[in-house]
Amino acid sequence: MSSKAEILAALKSVALPEHPMPKVEIAPRLDDLIGQYEAGLKACGGTLIRDNALAALQSQVDTLIAEGKQVISRVDAVTGNREVPSDPHELKDINYAVIPGQLGVAENGSIWVTEDLAGIRIAPFICENLMLVLKAEDIVANMHQALAKISLDNTGFGVFIAGPSKTADIEQALVIGAHGACTLNVYLV
Amino acid sequence: MSQAQTSVGHAEKADIFCKDEARVDWHSKALWLLRQKRDRAAAAIPEWEELRTLGSEIKLHTLTHLPQYLEQFEANCQKNGIIVHWAKDGQEHNRIVHEILSKHQVKKLVKSKSMLTEECHLNPYLESKGIEVIDTDLGERIIQLNKQPPSHIVVPAIHLKKEEVGELFHNKIGTEKGASDPTYLTRSARAHLREHFLTADAGMTGVNMAIAEDGAIVVCTNEGNADMGCNLPKLTLHSMGIDKLIPNNEAASVLLRTLARNAIGQLITTYSSFYHGPKPGGEMHVIIVDNGRSEMLKDKLLAESLKCIRCGGCMNTCPVYRRSGGYSYNYFIPGPIGIAVGSNQDDTNTIPWACTLCGSCTYVCPTKVPLHNIIAYQRRLKAEAGKLPYGKAGYMPMVGKVMSSPTLLNCAMSVARFSLRYLPGSLLKPFAGAWGKYRELPKAPASSFEAWYKKNRSK
Repeated sequence: MSSKAEILAALKSVALPEHPMPKVEIAPRLDDLIGQYEAGLKACGGTLIRDNALAALQSQVDTLIAEGKQVISRVDAVTGNREVPSDPHELKDINYAVIPGQLGVAENGSIWVTEDLAGIRIAPFICENLMLVLKAEDIVANMHQALAKISLDNTGFGVFIAGPSKTADIEQALVIGAHGACTLNVYLV
Repeated sequence: MSQAQTSVGHAEKADIFCKDEARVDWHSKALWLLRQKRDRAAAAIPEWEELRTLGSEIKLHTLTHLPQYLEQFEANCQKNGIIVHWAKDGQEHNRIVHEILSKHQVKKLVKSKSMLTEECHLNPYLESKGIEVIDTDLGERIIQLNKQPPSHIVVPAIHLKKEEVGELFHNKIGTEKGASDPTYLTRSARAHLREHFLTADAGMTGVNMAIAEDGAIVVCTNEGNADMGCNLPKLTLHSMGIDKLIPNNEAASVLLRTLARNAIGQLITTYSSFYHGPKPGGEMHVIIVDNGRSEMLKDKLLAESLKCIRCGGCMNTCPVYRRSGGYSYNYFIPGPIGIAVGSNQDDTNTIPWACTLCGSCTYVCPTKVPLHNIIAYQRRLKAEAGKLPYGKAGYMPMVGKVMSSPTLLNCAMSVARFSLRYLPGSLLKPFAGAWGKYRELPKAPASSFEAWYKKNRSK
């Protein structure tokens, strides 16, 4: 008998009584979604740019490029100075990545980013600083709404990103900037 | 009760930890801080209790329909180009992992946190085969360099002070001598591990949730180490227990709301990554492991421990864990959940008693695992198997006899009241055993409760 068959056979004698799948019927909190989102993002260490965000982003990117920084942009309106490589290792010197988010979650400040939006899976992690662009109308209240909306069908990878990478593994002291990006700016358009 | 005692029991190991009183206080406070953060995060959403109930019900539903969901998960994974393996036990799991790695001539594997690979002792196995294994979670890397197992499932290096980490990093990765600033040490580890990420031949992670309907796995980290490890090399491996399965995205939405809030009081982990297939040109393997879980499912109460989502909340609140440390349990998972799932592995038969049965763990559990009931049950299982720990094996059967006979109990209590009144404490103290070690003996009441009740209440 294969291990699979053995495991499945052993699972025939589960002692728990059969249990139905519950329905999630939690009313979303819909007041001031942007305000909620901003508070959530702040709590996880990110910054929201609301005023004239796209122009602010482009001018910041121009300044960064003039300073010699390496910037990859996946947002149509913003021009970087690096292309998406086929080998992810080539992004090891990327300073800034500009990526469109598909969905923002008000209750926790996270943004859903997919492989096709990022161009390559490693992009939002390997960059020193991450800049996400989010449409205000794409903010949903909570994770139930978010997961009802996203679909993995056409993408091999998706991630909810909530703030810059962080750790508190040394004496519980919070340090921003662990292995992923060290800062996160979200540009609301 | 002539079982060979190959290791030291919980109380003796806790004694070692408790020698440094200042450290115990610090440890206890650091974990209690996590509990307080958890309380604030839970109180901030009015539907918290509803989420706990949903979490419990989703897990119960999945556990009672596992064959169906496992097969659905496998079929959908295969549709997405993921290669699925099944392992009955830890040995088979390790063998499968090694076969995959050696087929690809992997010399260096970067790993993110996975309690399952600890359970299977994967690292030493792979190292014995000549493969370099780099743990990439900061806490895990610290203890790997310190040649220690994790002392907590979420904050694995919680037992170490920053000065100790500074000294370790100075010796192992060349940080400045005497430096102990957490930011400096973290950034140094970032640079050190970045080199490993860029030169690894394969990446490996554990699995927080496996979604049957999508054939996707979810991995949650704050540091981004799982994603750095998985998204650079072509080859990735993901190990999961059969208990990690959930039916669909809706189930994931519930657990993703409670996991980080209950673990450390965060709204959500920085990264909640859904791996749904190999990267272009890559190869993705998922290894589904039983290793005793199907056996636990045959017991109605033990089965409920498989609802656990490994948030570590029960450790942070446990008065015994906080004051005895993660290394006092004779199982690689410490604290209440460790006792619940690991008691049968504890050859000292002591960890079910590393508990006051206060129930705080059950109260905070995001999937309502009845932890203190399971722990009490583990004591019963030890007794029924004739494996009560040294001491208890002698007096517990006598206590049982006395307690079950009103006459014997009344006699014994009269003797006790008389002795407490008239005999010196120094003579009586030894009879109190470990209980009396840090406590004064009680003052004897004037009469038994039964006599008091008859006099005052039975009219």
